[in-house]
Amino acid sequence: MTPSFATGIAAGAGLAPGPALHIPDGFVSAPVAAAGWVATVAVVALSVRVANRRLEERAVPLMGVMAAFIFAAQMMNFPVAGGTSGHLLGGALAVVLLGPWAAIVVMTAVVGLQALLFQDGGLAALGANVLNMGIVTIAVGWAVYRIPRLVARDSRPVLLGAAFVAGWISVEAGAIATAFMLALSGTSPLNVVLPAMVGVHALIGIGEGLITAAAIAFVLSTRPDLIPGAAPTRA
Amino acid sequence: MSALAGFLDRYQERESLLHRLDARAKLPAALGFIVAVTFTREGEWLTLALLFAPIPLLVALSRLGAALVLRRSLLALPFVATAIPLVFTRPGDPVFELPLTGWTASAEGIRAVATIMARAWIAVLTAVILVATTPAVELLRALRSLRVPALLISTISFAYRYLYVVGDEAQRMIRARDSRSATIPGARAGRSVAWRAGVAGRMVGSLFVRSLERSERVYAAMQARGYHGELRFLHNPPLPRTDLALGAALVAYGALVQAAAYLR
Repeated sequence: MTPSFATGIAAGAGLAPGPALHIPDGFVSAPVAAAGWVATVAVVALSVRVANRRLEERAVPLMGVMAAFIFAAQMMNFPVAGGTSGHLLGGALAVVLLGPWAAIVVMTAVVGLQALLFQDGGLAALGANVLNMGIVTIAVGWAVYRIPRLVARDSRPVLLGAAFVAGWISVEAGAIATAFMLALSGTSPLNVVLPAMVGVHALIGIGEGLITAAAIAFVLSTRPDLIPGAAPTRA
Repeated sequence: MSALAGFLDRYQERESLLHRLDARAKLPAALGFIVAVTFTREGEWLTLALLFAPIPLLVALSRLGAALVLRRSLLALPFVATAIPLVFTRPGDPVFELPLTGWTASAEGIRAVATIMARAWIAVLTAVILVATTPAVELLRALRSLRVPALLISTISFAYRYLYVVGDEAQRMIRARDSRSATIPGARAGRSVAWRAGVAGRMVGSLFVRSLERSERVYAAMQARGYHGELRFLHNPPLPRTDLALGAALVAYGALVQAAAYLR
């Protein structure tokens, strides 16, 4: 096992300094965990239905392989400094490539697998974790990705700029949601956890934005037909 | 088998009572017990001790060995950092002062953090025992007993299956990058952090295109075999009553301990 493989694995397991948003059980109080489940079940049930209707019988193989892709993409780390490495969370990337409904199902599958099989994030806390990493990141990432494209034409720089900011802000949004859940649970005082999470993830978010934009740039160059709105204006 | 498989497959083959138990009983039992643990209030040491009590018994029954379970239970450790500030911010009897910072630790703060860590640890131990005694495929099938939508279970099962394939692909790409990235010890390698992130990003983009094309081939292969939008599962064998009873006993025990703690 090479060192980079080890760090890749560690990153995949959430051990390396990447987005630290997988809340273990015991860190969220029972009411917060329950509220997380209620919101998650409602949104995921709707997303599953819409994604299934849009994708029809392609839904399962497409979203299943895409979830495996996001999981593996989280292993793609890059050295930052002092032996630490950054890696992807993937919410913004998923929403740019797949649209919001399929992206929510895909991220739910990723976060669910991580909790169920790898103890990366708790089981009782799974509702809260899917909400933070699978729903909030995607909703915010989607909104941010759309905004500049409402006022500007879909050119390559606009798409890439939007993807970068979407990646960055989506991680921040996930971190803020996590901070609020920890504060509401009485696990961490808001005036400490919020600035800490926002500060750390401001840096991690830049990495997320850079990877997201570079990934979209690659896809734009090789398979522009896969990016909605980009097919006619091949750069 | 790739090295990845050793990491992805957390199931430990043993011959034990816990291994033989039906996943449809084990998964809800573990989940119910973890939920019960979540309800523990601050400073309820007796409750925590009573909730911990079944763990050594389960480890012994599973024949997994305490060392393995302990090692895996430390996974959630990095997250502890988010709870530590509570030691200093919770008002209460001062215990000690952190030098240079002027922060004072309170007894109430220490009590709160210790409770959170104990709750988290008992929950993780439960989950580790569940996953080590149940093959992943069984675990995913058992999600049906929790009323998870079939489409989501199919998607998750597919994701698990293709994790090995796409993960191997990712590893080959990482290996390829590493073998092209010679470094001189002590010298700075590569360019700026943004440039490195860009390299990782293009790898991710490439992996996406490869994965998407793979999903198209998978779909075509499924269609060729008669797939039309609905996965068929093998018929479930009946769930043995004893398995269900054992699972229910664990949840009932957790609920009883909490009920006693709340009513006291």
